Amino acid sequence: MNSINQLLNATPQLWKGRQASRGQRTLPTGHAHLDRQLPGKGWPRGAMTELMTHKPGMGEFSLLFPALADTGRQGQWVILVDPPWIPYPATLEGHGLLLERLLLVRTGGGKQSLWACEQALRSGRGGAVLAWPERISFSRLRRLQIAAESSSKLAFLFRPENAGRESSPAALRLKLGPGGRNGVRVDILKCRGSRPAEPVTIPHFFSAYGKQQCQTHFHATLTEHNIHTALAGSALSAAGTGPAQPRPKRH
Amino acid sequence: MRFPQLAQDLHSRGQSGTSVQPAAGRAPEPNEEAQRQALQRLAAWCYQYSDQVCIPGDRSGLFVEAGASERLFGRTEHLGKRVEQELGQLGYLALAGSAPTPEAAWLAAPERMHIAGPSHVRRQMGPLPLNRLHLDAAQQAAMERMGFRQLRDLLRLPRKSLTRRFGPALPDYLDRILGIRPDPRAMYHPPEAFSSRLELLAEVHACQGLLFPLKRMLEELCGVLRGGDTAVQSLQIVLGHEDHQDTPLNLGLQSPSQDPDRLLAVLRERLERLRLPRAVREIRLEAPTLLRFNAGQHSLFRDTPAEQQQDIRQLTERLQARLGSGAVSGLTGVEDHRPEYSWRPRTLDERPACTALAHRPAWLLPNPKPCVIEDYRILAGPERIESGWWDGRDCRRDYFIVRDAQGSTLWAFREYKPRRGWYLHGIFA
Repeated sequence: MNSINQLLNATPQLWKGRQASRGQRTLPTGHAHLDRQLPGKGWPRGAMTELMTHKPGMGEFSLLFPALADTGRQGQWVILVDPPWIPYPATLEGHGLLLERLLLVRTGGGKQSLWACEQALRSGRGGAVLAWPERISFSRLRRLQIAAESSSKLAFLFRPENAGRESSPAALRLKLGPGGRNGVRVDILKCRGSRPAEPVTIPHFFSAYGKQQCQTHFHATLTEHNIHTALAGSALSAAGTGPAQPRPKRH
Repeated sequence: MRFPQLAQDLHSRGQSGTSVQPAAGRAPEPNEEAQRQALQRLAAWCYQYSDQVCIPGDRSGLFVEAGASERLFGRTEHLGKRVEQELGQLGYLALAGSAPTPEAAWLAAPERMHIAGPSHVRRQMGPLPLNRLHLDAAQQAAMERMGFRQLRDLLRLPRKSLTRRFGPALPDYLDRILGIRPDPRAMYHPPEAFSSRLELLAEVHACQGLLFPLKRMLEELCGVLRGGDTAVQSLQIVLGHEDHQDTPLNLGLQSPSQDPDRLLAVLRERLERLRLPRAVREIRLEAPTLLRFNAGQHSLFRDTPAEQQQDIRQLTERLQARLGSGAVSGLTGVEDHRPEYSWRPRTLDERPACTALAHRPAWLLPNPKPCVIEDYRILAGPERIESGWWDGRDCRRDYFIVRDAQGSTLWAFREYKPRRGWYLHGIFA
């Protein structure tokens, strides 16, 4: 019995049924609805989380903002490996992410990117690593999963929606899509330690600010006419809110 | 520490100064350059036992300050034996002795004497024959003629008489042996890179035959790494052939190491898969960058900010070692209203500064992309951004939050100046 226990303790990659019930280390997501559905009531530490979208722009990155802000406040680093575009510093700052705890790694993609990702996961303890791999095999995923376990990091992989059909060693797999006008629908495809729960709809981060900052909204598809209406309205609403003082537009 | 037969040692290690193999029994030709390089490497190797190592330059040996390391390595006798033995495994004959002054230690080394205090120097060194002293042949002959045989004969003479007979250099030298006069020396500094070259005595046809010489080279490298508290993550090994292009072997590790066994294990893997085009005549080993090494990598408590900072530095070094220095950066804001000019990469030493604008998108496209606005639904906007006339990048835009048919939320703007039209500029990811 002892040797079995030793073997179990020595092989962290072995999945143990009781693991989740013994309390997973997690970090709250900052979205109460989502936390309630997750087995550890938050993002699992020392494990991989996959976020899958059909297209970028579903609020998949901003979903992590509260957790990444917490990570920075705890003095830990957030490492982005080969982000597809430029993380907008003003937005990150606006959501409480500490730029001084943010590291960007640019590798040129492919194997180098996965190597850098593994290095980032293995370095130090705590913190978060975000990666956008183009293609990744199961064995590579497992290597990343083991690396994440070794340093108890939050590991987020952003993947295309069709990756959801392949199996993965990730502890948590979420599919994100539009949920109504201002929401993000989160489908939990897999969560280690419990049964996948009901989908959750959480507000898209733009919605909270969109209303405050810009009072003009459009419901219909746009025509040349109502763009002009919008522009006329903006002279009132945007005064003092935007970084530049807009001038009234004359036609 | 003395290396009385450095030329022979280098030869027996396969590193002869000449490219022609000497006939059996013939003494190897001394090659000063090879010996100088060997001393440099040995000094770097000795750095693991003391941070004060000196290459005297005019003789085949090294001065190592051992007193300060006594608590770590035991008494100087033990350290001397250990160093002799370890260098013996690397293929060098080393003789170690210790004394309170460098010059006295030099005399003590061939006798393997270890003199504890300054008061013992005169007594224990007295019986040494004069030809052991570090003096030129003319002076040696002059002393011989005057009937001096041992060091104590000289020490007994008054200083004035010594100066009259042999000039001021000799009493000066004796004072430095006894420690009456200070003997400051230029200290050796460990190198930032390591390179070594081994010319094989016989041609090696099989990869397995390369393991033994490579093992010695790696052990020497790792001694140097321990000395400088550094580690390597990548190694370049070049196998030289006669009349054929060299075979390069590049080793990369997952994490920096100074462990010869680990390096050898990786190397063994590579050698097993390697096919030699020709017999190997020489091996060159190069470690272009030595990284800082943190031995406490597996300690339990690694959550303080200082340690986090150290971890991130190590990671940065490692990533840059493989991907180039531009691969790792931070991010900071720039005071400019135009989003495309409102950011730049920063080095990790620089403090970031940025205006907070929570309603902007998570991603910024590096270049605005023209779009057809009829394909999108507008959710919110506009936000007027107007600036840049003072630096020739004049622009006026209205930004909108839009959504495409698949549900992606994007950031688009209508530009009035300098161009007219609609563009996508960000993604609310």
